[in-house]
Amino acid sequence: MTRWVVERVETALDRFQLGPVSLDLSPGSAVAVLGTSGAGKTTLLRTLAGFLRPRQGRILRDGVDISQWLPEERGLGYVPQGLGLFPQRTVVRNIRYPMEIRGLSDAGRRTAELMERFHLTGLADRYPSRLSGGEQQRVAIARALAAEPTLIVWDEPWQGLDVVARYELGQVLHELRETDRIPMVVVTHDPSLAFSVADTFLLLRNGQVQDQCDATSLLRAPSDAFAARFVGYENVFESDDLRGGAPGAFRAWLRQQAGPDGIAFPSPDPSRPPSNGPLFELIVRSARPGPTGVTIDGHCDELPVSLRRPPPVAPPLPAPGTRLRFSIPSETLLPLGPRRPPGVGT
Amino acid sequence: MGESVLELNPATASAPPVARRRWRAGPLWTALQVVLSASLLLLFLLPIVALFTYAPVSHIFGAWSNVQVRAALWLTFFASGIAVLAAVVFGIPLGYLLARRAFPGRGVVEAFVALPVVIPHLLVGLGLFLLFIPGTPIYRFSQSIGFPVYDTIWGVVLVMVFVSTPYTVLASMLSFRAVDGRVLEAARSLGAGSAVAFLTVTFPLALRGIVAGLLLSWARAVSEIGGLLVLAYAVYPAGPYTGPVTSTISIYIYDEFQGGNLAGAAAVSSLFLLMAFALFLLVRVGERSGWLPWRRGELAP
Repeated sequence: MTRWVVERVETALDRFQLGPVSLDLSPGSAVAVLGTSGAGKTTLLRTLAGFLRPRQGRILRDGVDISQWLPEERGLGYVPQGLGLFPQRTVVRNIRYPMEIRGLSDAGRRTAELMERFHLTGLADRYPSRLSGGEQQRVAIARALAAEPTLIVWDEPWQGLDVVARYELGQVLHELRETDRIPMVVVTHDPSLAFSVADTFLLLRNGQVQDQCDATSLLRAPSDAFAARFVGYENVFESDDLRGGAPGAFRAWLRQQAGPDGIAFPSPDPSRPPSNGPLFELIVRSARPGPTGVTIDGHCDELPVSLRRPPPVAPPLPAPGTRLRFSIPSETLLPLGPRRPPGVGT
Repeated sequence: MGESVLELNPATASAPPVARRRWRAGPLWTALQVVLSASLLLLFLLPIVALFTYAPVSHIFGAWSNVQVRAALWLTFFASGIAVLAAVVFGIPLGYLLARRAFPGRGVVEAFVALPVVIPHLLVGLGLFLLFIPGTPIYRFSQSIGFPVYDTIWGVVLVMVFVSTPYTVLASMLSFRAVDGRVLEAARSLGAGSAVAFLTVTFPLALRGIVAGLLLSWARAVSEIGGLLVLAYAVYPAGPYTGPVTSTISIYIYDEFQGGNLAGAAAVSSLFLLMAFALFLLVRVGERSGWLPWRRGELAP
């Protein structure tokens, strides 16, 4: 089992600067790299894979500094965006490729094993263009494993997959962590998928590490409005949103509760008895049913607010213009600001 | 009955006329495309039909028994074959260099490569003629190494290389550029060094475009006449050519035409066209049968 450590790595790409980034990738660990487009996620992965040289810092594989090693020397399975399958090779030849170029004698047996493991045996002679998105993902991961990597680095694994294929891929990634114990770094735009796989989250913004923590910390204390929106809070207000605008009790109350960077809270339930906080009134703009209940969007003091009535979903849905009373349980309020040191407050 | 239904149904009765016009615009547009395309195809086809129908079939195959025709064909195919080989050896690496390496002045080199395509070919011949004029160092050098160019097969090869290689360079450059860098990165991280990744990934993926470029180069080489009129109008035995005094097939046909032998010109043209078609057909068959690798996976680089 191999341990990878990234020590304060910085990479410069034209005018873009990434880092410093530090990671501890022990066997079985999984890091999700989150961030919007241009945050530096792919740059980080390409640095780990050896396609970009770090300007500062070290990448250690079992204590050996491999920062200057070529990509083919690193023993790392890099799956780029779009998967990088060889279009001119069939499924079986794609998977056999890493063993073929090494001249391994048992390439046939190993390929057959991987094909069986990833349910690809019936697709052996197909070309990648003839596969579904989910099948292509399975080929990509089987091919990466054929090279016996000590770290898997995957750029946007869920891209372009339907719901079923996403679920199946989640299972595959779980298995990789638990059975193969290969550490993983996955890049994604989708935090809910990241939560299903990773134990550590690295949130990048403009090349800088904005947040690096476990799932609970990220959900309970997002560092700013960007992080709060990213992890799925529906009601996020930056300090600037709360200043000015229409005066009103709701805006004034939020301003009181907010941290230096603003405030976030999950959608309150309008059907719940009033909490210990004050009551406000939402003017409904739209309502849509879903598996988690009815999401009701509207505004209060000109601030957009989202409420959620829990299941079962029963008609009638609130009509636009309807006024609904709601209160926000104080325990769900998240003042936004720099992360507090571990052990201080909750 | 139908009309009354239409009238009673407000949605149908008020159907916007624009929608009906748009519905009819589809077939019209298709018809226009068919007519325009067919016109162009006819323009391609009719002169060829005229060539094949002007000379009787017996004359076409009879032309093969003419020693002069065979010598001209041999010279043309041999010299163009060497030109294509030169395109492979020099053109593909240059195409790769332009596609994958950044260096100062790359844009200038790219423009320079396209220059032979746009220069009138008579000027190419004149330029080469002046370059190899007796007394110049290049003339002395070519003589000393046994490659005299005036009215020899080497002159023919030189002109053909000049006018045809740019097609391979440009096609290779575009094909190498079209190879997805992420596929290459995947290969590298799977353990392939840069040379192995080139041979197993880049080159196979670019091959279709490269072969198309080579075919264009060959076609351009065999159809060359302007430069040859100046540098190698008549080809005397030298180097690998040991036959009678001859010329390339284009010049041979031109001479026949100038001499008033229209039937002879048409017959030799038809014979040459048949051979050229056979070559293109061979490539197509190879492509369809999967013998040529680029249709595998239905690539379209």
